[in-house]
Amino acid sequence: MIDNTKDSRFSVKQLIVIYTIISLMSLLAVWELVARFTKASMFLPPASQVLVAFCRSFVEPIGKRTMLAHIGVSLYRVGVAFFFATIAGIALGVGMGYSRLAEAILKPIFEFIRPIPPLAWIPLSILWFGLGDTGKFFIIFLGCFCFITVNTYDGAKNVDPELIGAARMLGANERQVFFEIVLPSSVPYIFAGLQIAVTAGWSAVVGAEMIQSNEGVGWMIVRGMNTGNTVQIMVGIVAIGIVGFILANLTSALERRLCAWNEQKGM
Amino acid sequence: MERAEGNVGSPAAVLECRNVGRSFDSYDGGGKNEVLRGMDFEVHENEFLVLFGAGQCGKTTLLNILAGLDMPTEGQVLTRGKKVTGPAPERGMVYQKTSLFPWMTVEDNVGFGPKVQHMPENERQARIKKYLELVGLTGFEKNYPSQLSGGMRQRVGIARAYANQPDIMLMDEPFGHLDAQTRYMMEEELQRIWQKEKRTVIFVTNNIEEALFLADRIILLTNCPTHIKEEYIINMPHPRDYVDPEFLRLRQLITDNMDLTL
Repeated sequence: MIDNTKDSRFSVKQLIVIYTIISLMSLLAVWELVARFTKASMFLPPASQVLVAFCRSFVEPIGKRTMLAHIGVSLYRVGVAFFFATIAGIALGVGMGYSRLAEAILKPIFEFIRPIPPLAWIPLSILWFGLGDTGKFFIIFLGCFCFITVNTYDGAKNVDPELIGAARMLGANERQVFFEIVLPSSVPYIFAGLQIAVTAGWSAVVGAEMIQSNEGVGWMIVRGMNTGNTVQIMVGIVAIGIVGFILANLTSALERRLCAWNEQKGM
Repeated sequence: MERAEGNVGSPAAVLECRNVGRSFDSYDGGGKNEVLRGMDFEVHENEFLVLFGAGQCGKTTLLNILAGLDMPTEGQVLTRGKKVTGPAPERGMVYQKTSLFPWMTVEDNVGFGPKVQHMPENERQARIKKYLELVGLTGFEKNYPSQLSGGMRQRVGIARAYANQPDIMLMDEPFGHLDAQTRYMMEEELQRIWQKEKRTVIFVTNNIEEALFLADRIILLTNCPTHIKEEYIINMPHPRDYVDPEFLRLRQLITDNMDLTL
């Protein structure tokens, strides 16, 4: 539709980029105005100040480290937890989806744990794992694990029975049906789960870093709160937002690549 | 055309369906839903047998039983004298919905049977090449099913079944989802493929033209519970002409004998 207008100096793609930029600029402008000219200025530092602080944080350390190092530490924590959550989530999800027995045994336990917010585990996690990184992995793990499990479970449940029949007619045994049919046909579901999970895990990092730590973007916010430094809190929030955005886009790019067969419908 | 002699068991039969019945528990829990009753027939080496019947008369149930994907509640199915107890690559299946594996390319779909049976790779590649050539899809090896038209997808389905070099091919209304034009074309294609590489085929359809165009023998089925109403041996030479007087006469004869469906 946009293409049909008289003004065709820009392609649809360019227009999308332009609108995105306009949207972000307007957000920043409103933020700046509100922070400067209303009473909210007591609690909300202006956008320009946060942006300057954000840029400076890449060269001047906050606490012991610069921004990239903080992001790196947090990414490492999310990465480790996400890795284990992916393995556990896919295994549990496919298992419950494929085997009635596994479903009967594990699903009630899983459904009981699922609605508990990851942060509710923090006290226990400190008792169990102490104040080191293990407890943080545990919290982030809980933050992503359920999404991966639920989606994988859905995928394994929804395999077209005729495809399984076709594979068996072609000579596939149980193991081959599982690895060649059930698992790959769940991949789009698994990816949907991974996409939600990576974002959820990245959000859980703040909570996880509330437990005794002295680095990471979550720590940056908690530290800012303890010292009443709103600029630092906002810098942490901006960093979390930007990294989360990048992570979500990376996973969907990976999905497009691995699930090419699923995207080319209607050709 | 002549009436078939009764169902005399034959040692040369590739597949024998002996007094097969199938009932399902009905949904309200009370009684039984009888779908198949006393199905008794056999199919011979390289014969093209068409099971023809209207609408929802348990044809797919029967084919699933012949395949070994479902078990009869009465009677049994024998392939070359041995009882069928489950699915096996000796019986190839072609589905109405094609049931291609959407995440696999055309060549991976066709090579799936040989792969799961651990055929050496070079031999497997030769198989893939041979059968893609047979169905006229050379050049589409790297495409995904979603990139193909309906007719092409069903060609892949046929090649996939052929690639296992099965003893018998079971085809469940394979052209049922195609538009009329493509359907005619695919019927001719199947005839050509079958002439080139003969197989014993059991082909299920509810389309009389299709049945007459392809069959050596047609078994006419009744409505539920499905049983055999009549058998016709079709002796017309191939390729057949849809408007040939003999074709039209048989068409009239069989249609008149058919049960009406709602």
